[in-house]
Amino acid sequence: NVLCRCCGCRTLLLLLLLWKLEEHLLPLNETLAHLKTESETLKSKLEEERAKLHDVELHQVAEKVEGLGQFVMKTRRTLKGHGNKVLCMDWCKDKRRIVSSSQDGKVIVWDAFTTNKEHAVTMPCTWVMACAYAPSGCAVACGGLDNKCSVYPLSLDKNENLAAKKKSVAMHTNYLSACSFTNSDMQILTSSGDGTCALWDVESGQLLQSFHGHAADVLCLDLAPSETGNTFVSGGCDKKANVWDMRSGQCIQSFETHESDINSVRYYPSGDAFASGSDDATCRLYDLRADREVAIYSKESIIFGVSSVDFSLSGRLLFGGYNDYTINVWDVLKGTRVSILFGHENRVSTLRVSPDGTAFSTGSWDHTLRVCDDCYFLSNLTTLQPRVTFLVTSCNVCCFSLFFFFLSDLGLRMRTQRMKW
Amino acid sequence: MSSKAHSSNNIANARRTVQQLRIEASIERIKVSKACADLMSYCSEHARSDPLLMGIPASDNPFKDKKPCTIL
Repeated sequence: NVLCRCCGCRTLLLLLLLWKLEEHLLPLNETLAHLKTESETLKSKLEEERAKLHDVELHQVAEKVEGLGQFVMKTRRTLKGHGNKVLCMDWCKDKRRIVSSSQDGKVIVWDAFTTNKEHAVTMPCTWVMACAYAPSGCAVACGGLDNKCSVYPLSLDKNENLAAKKKSVAMHTNYLSACSFTNSDMQILTSSGDGTCALWDVESGQLLQSFHGHAADVLCLDLAPSETGNTFVSGGCDKKANVWDMRSGQCIQSFETHESDINSVRYYPSGDAFASGSDDATCRLYDLRADREVAIYSKESIIFGVSSVDFSLSGRLLFGGYNDYTINVWDVLKGTRVSILFGHENRVSTLRVSPDGTAFSTGSWDHTLRVCDDCYFLSNLTTLQPRVTFLVTSCNVCCFSLFFFFLSDLGLRMRTQRMKW
Repeated sequence: MSSKAHSSNNIANARRTVQQLRIEASIERIKVSKACADLMSYCSEHARSDPLLMGIPASDNPFKDKKPCTIL
């Protein structure tokens, strides 16, 4: 506040001040406008480059591939024990154990073969939205509304209090939405409602790298299969799926074609593509080398959001858990649905295929988890049908001929009987 | 001044966006037909070993119940 006795002097000084400010601000404004136009030009250039290489659709290329026919999936195990909505689950590398977490703060480790509960931990918070099994099978990580990711080492002694050995690893400023161990038990990757992802060292709890770029909550992440290098993909409420370099923290590719929040992302087994599931009721496949979306998996009759997706071992099947309580199975190459599975009594919140691909497990808001697989016989009925039809027909022919023979024999006997009379 | 800090923040964000877009625009891309062909060949190579796709004998499937036949 420059005060002067003379009124006119003050006005002059104020004018001078404003002029200086304008002089200073004007170049800033120009730079901002300039940057904005450059960003618009780059965006359209990006679209142009991507469109140039878009010579064909995936389902067109896949026309010559043999169709799959219809699959029949069957529930083999139902895991009951959670007292509230199951929010997340993960398989152990031994293809047998499953860890699951729920809204009531419970984290349970199951033996999927026997359906026995092996360990149970009660977290100090509700809504445990993320859980993951360590590659060694010796620990589990979980977190949720506590904004943290904690690691619990699993002991062979089932009576031991797991909560006592808890280690707090990650700290975010909002809820933890997903977590995953990297190739070893030593590092954990987390995503959070605070819009960031982060890589942590488990032993020290130190932040190794943070990933900024999402404009809203990050809801899911998936690590690239180990052969393809140090990248991971994340999806968020900003409708974007970003691919990150784990070492530099740089976002290397970004895809924005979904019309709503992306709830789940999963890499294709080869690591060259990834699928995403969103609240817009579609699953989409993005190819990383073509740098664009190459397929959409949707139907007009499907209007509820997808909560989780996963591929079968060969990548030919895409499993999606939906908010309308169903699981839809898609032919990845042809874009058609090959199976629909009912059974859950509330929305499916999480879905994972087992590490050896023999089964897939789903968790739901109906408090249960189910382990399902392909009912091979029924699924392949079309190929087995000629054999079955032949068997059935021949059986029928035999039965009827026996019946008629018996009838005629009876009739003959009765006639001879009458004649005797 | 707060407005200056605010505008410099906007500029920093805009600069970051431009840098990010520059990186994304400069990556090597291949044709969709080639990418799809690769996805298809991966599928066909691994189809035989995909239990959910091909099915496995009940004896090998740990989740199938091995019920003995009961003749009433």
